[in-house]
Amino acid sequence: MPRLQSQTALKNILKTYFTEMRSPIAWCTSAGPAEILRALGFDVYFPENHGALLGASRIAEKYIPRAHQEGFDGEICSYLTADIGAWLMKETPLTKIYGLESIPKPDLIVFNTNQCREVAEWFSYFGREFDCPVVGIFPPRYLETVHKADIDNVVAQFKNLISIGENVIGKKLDPERLAETLRLSSEGSQLWKKVLGTASNKPAPLSFFDGCILMAPIVVLRGTQICVDFYKDALSELTQLVNNNKGAVADEQVRIYWEGMPVWGKLRSLSELFAQNNASVVASTYCNSWVFDDFDISNPLESMAHAYTQIFINRGENTKLEMMMDLIETFSVDGVIFHNSKTCFNNANGRFGLPGRLEKETGIPTVSFDGDLVDLRFFSEGQTETKLETFFEQLKG
Amino acid sequence: MSDYFVGIDLGSSYTKFAVSDEDKNLVYKAVVPTLSRNKDVFKNELEKIRDKYSISKICTTGYGRNSFDSDIKKTELVCASVGVSALYPEHKCIIDIGGEDIKIIESGPKGEVLNFYMNDKCSAGTGTFITEIAEKAELEISEMSTLAKTSNTTKVINSFCTVFAKSEILGWKFNDMPIEEIARSIYLSIVTRIRKLPVKTNLAIYLCGGVIAFHPYLKALISEEFNVDITVPDDSQFIVALGASVLAKMKK
Repeated sequence: MPRLQSQTALKNILKTYFTEMRSPIAWCTSAGPAEILRALGFDVYFPENHGALLGASRIAEKYIPRAHQEGFDGEICSYLTADIGAWLMKETPLTKIYGLESIPKPDLIVFNTNQCREVAEWFSYFGREFDCPVVGIFPPRYLETVHKADIDNVVAQFKNLISIGENVIGKKLDPERLAETLRLSSEGSQLWKKVLGTASNKPAPLSFFDGCILMAPIVVLRGTQICVDFYKDALSELTQLVNNNKGAVADEQVRIYWEGMPVWGKLRSLSELFAQNNASVVASTYCNSWVFDDFDISNPLESMAHAYTQIFINRGENTKLEMMMDLIETFSVDGVIFHNSKTCFNNANGRFGLPGRLEKETGIPTVSFDGDLVDLRFFSEGQTETKLETFFEQLKG
Repeated sequence: MSDYFVGIDLGSSYTKFAVSDEDKNLVYKAVVPTLSRNKDVFKNELEKIRDKYSISKICTTGYGRNSFDSDIKKTELVCASVGVSALYPEHKCIIDIGGEDIKIIESGPKGEVLNFYMNDKCSAGTGTFITEIAEKAELEISEMSTLAKTSNTTKVINSFCTVFAKSEILGWKFNDMPIEEIARSIYLSIVTRIRKLPVKTNLAIYLCGGVIAFHPYLKALISEEFNVDITVPDDSQFIVALGASVLAKMKK
């Protein structure tokens, strides 16, 4: 039995999402303009979700070597290598879980390089495989300040996407439908923020490891009523736990910030390791990536351009430091763990001295460990366990 | 009869036993190979200890700490910090070179871990690295330090990969590089790996772990590299086990 009832409800939601997905289907990156695609009338599929599923179900090691054979390097994104490898072997965990014959066939493929350039290569590969139109949004990258010119740039690219999308779907974008989709996205996102915000309580009723499961709707169903309803229920369940003073881990003694990607194949064992050490992961950059404060239905394209361009992963190191410091304060964090995800260059944020600067600014200890989002060959169980347990001891003093 | 406390450090190469008294004094020590299939060696050692001392608590540490049913389990970093502090209660930096990893620990006077670093995956530059490379170089481990002292070479092994490092050694052998130069070069390779780690040279530096017990000349080379005095505690190989035994006492 999952600890949270919401996790059980989520299973049914995802089942419906996958089994009822119908053409026209658009593929989209997780922080891409899914609202535009939904408003155009596409069902939206997210390959990153599939990558995470391959990692979490620990079957990726079967597929990654197949992608290597095809010339995809072992040190590039393991979502990409696992996903392309699975495609080449004509397999998907969606068959076993939801009875799908294969991954959904795209009518349009859309990516946003606000997170990395790997998505461009990954999605373009499938564009060639399916002989499907591919639209890339290439925003300015690594911004400290987001200027109007940056937003104008992205808005122009959104307009181009709309025009291509309209051609594929055979009708014009309905502005009212876009506004309504954005309204639902905004509401869902704000509820997700509140769900994560419950962890600011002591003890925290949910941890990062719960968040990695509960985040599915804000990624794959953003802009739908289902997503909104799900987080209303989740919030109510978590608020109840707060009222009853029930923490995600027993006798919470240390409060951790998790920086970087999850180790999808080790969610459970890491979650247990933290719990055994009375350590709760109360905040993370990752789960917060889908908190969008800027959506504005009176100005859909500009506000979306803002929201998707100013996400953490697309920012400069100074801004990243400030964003982390805000969360550290809000969530009363005792220590920060940097996951140095070896195949995720763009979301391994400890490589340019950020941990040291953060320690200096906040006085809060940090530790980094090597691992990966999907490819467990980069993860050393014994070393990581020793490192994390020592870190917990250090924090307990 | 007074109480005694056992620390067992199940490291990647050897398992070290330490027994301490109420005053944190090391009263007994023993070492057995960790990788032995013969589990009796471990059991016999423990029985020997139990026969001799009235054991109150046991703490296990090291890579295999969870494979033994003990009263408490602590990581080897925490134990190293407590172990060195039992002898030197001051703010210090500990360099622990083990079989498969190198750890740098900033340690408080009471043994508290204030900060630490350890390698994650590649074990180049650790005990196992030396053993593998020395074998390829046809060097006796026991002679390495004495030989290395007589050379002035500045040559180091370039590769981070132990397998490729062995190929480099092969090349040196083809070129008739003197054995004492090879010995010193292997040590210098270790020093170049430690050089990139966050060693706090403004603090008193202590060197412990199995490697320094077998390769005493490394102390001089590391001292030279960082331009600081370095202390190697007595029984440096047993410091972690001693720390574990002290923690066993605190569990009381």
